[in-house]
Amino acid sequence: MSGPPPSWRKWRLPAAGLLLGLLALPAARDWLEASMTRHMLVQFPLLALAGFGMAASLPQRWAERMNRWNAHGTTGLLATALVLALLMIPRLLDLALVNGWIELGKFLALLVCGAAVQLSWQPAGLLVQGFFLGNVLPMTVVVGYLFESSPVRLCNAYLLGDQESLGQGLVWIAAAVALAWFARLVLVLMRRDMAADA
Amino acid sequence: MFRSALLSILLALAAYAGSVWLTHDFQVWTAEGARRLEVALQPIAAPALKMDGPGLIARPLSQFLADGQSVTLVDFVYTRCQTVCLALGSVYQQMQATLQAAASLPGAPAQRVKLLSISFDGQYDNPQVLQAYAARLSADPRIWQFARLPDAQDTQRLLDDFQVVVVPNGYGDFEHNAALLVVDQQGRLVRIFDYAEQQLALDYARHLAREVSP
Repeated sequence: MSGPPPSWRKWRLPAAGLLLGLLALPAARDWLEASMTRHMLVQFPLLALAGFGMAASLPQRWAERMNRWNAHGTTGLLATALVLALLMIPRLLDLALVNGWIELGKFLALLVCGAAVQLSWQPAGLLVQGFFLGNVLPMTVVVGYLFESSPVRLCNAYLLGDQESLGQGLVWIAAAVALAWFARLVLVLMRRDMAADA
Repeated sequence: MFRSALLSILLALAAYAGSVWLTHDFQVWTAEGARRLEVALQPIAAPALKMDGPGLIARPLSQFLADGQSVTLVDFVYTRCQTVCLALGSVYQQMQATLQAAASLPGAPAQRVKLLSISFDGQYDNPQVLQAYAARLSADPRIWQFARLPDAQDTQRLLDDFQVVVVPNGYGDFEHNAALLVVDQQGRLVRIFDYAEQQLALDYARHLAREVSP
């Protein structure tokens, strides 16, 4: 696996820790969670990014030990899909605002998500990746469409317009991820063909 | 491979347990749905907080609600509201008309269903403002009364207890999970109805009121 040069590598853990520390600041939490869109489309991905960075700086030995529980990245991607499904239940967004334990659980679950994707994406290969995305992306689109088209507020703490923009954002993100992955898939397959022809 | 399968199954079971808890066994998906279900299963006692309002005797909210004989339909409003509170206003006007008609029937029992609108904007909605608001909605003080909690912290406490979430909408108004709250003769919040279900809420309140022997 080609990673960043070693001089960058040592900064990944402090950077991920710093990002997590910033996100955990009460002021940052209040600002990000004041809007449904920022809560789900900014805070969630940044937390996952922090988890991703932490997993990327794990010692090789630990990563190998974990791989025994994560054949072909299936366990990690399954965990990610399950966490994302739970996080899309509207009640969770409201609960995270009023219940500190739920908020803590949400932070940890998203860190685990990011870490699981980092540890599992390459080992998963195209087939498992495609299966994972084929489940998670349609789920995201359905939830996004529901958020966008619901005439009532699904979260007591958030406004209807905010819910609509979040729904649109979820649909766009799912579409963009699907396109990006498909483009990479085509590229990989073409390279394979060229390598076979050569 | 075996270890991965085992861990995957455990994760799936954990996620299932989590979603059962989060959705009350897949009955509700929103915090509002959970609130209504939880109240129906486990009534919430109204807190003993100081309140005042036009024509009200000074006594805590819990005492006003737990008078031992009447069921109260409570809603939360603020008088500067231009949107959902107006809808609630007309719902309350219709319920008041129904209750007036029922009371005027010959041999009708004494009035045992009351309406109470509580303002969560207690700083602005003092008793004079509420009096004017009541007059504008032609509220009949025998049936429909208005109150506020003079202390802002008390207001927050009441909103927290009844799980009413008020969000400023950025245009000077407030958005809130408006609903019809049925409080029984012992001052316990026993059921929450959507304000589109006014007939159901009123029927339920009158049914509860009849259950008490005179």
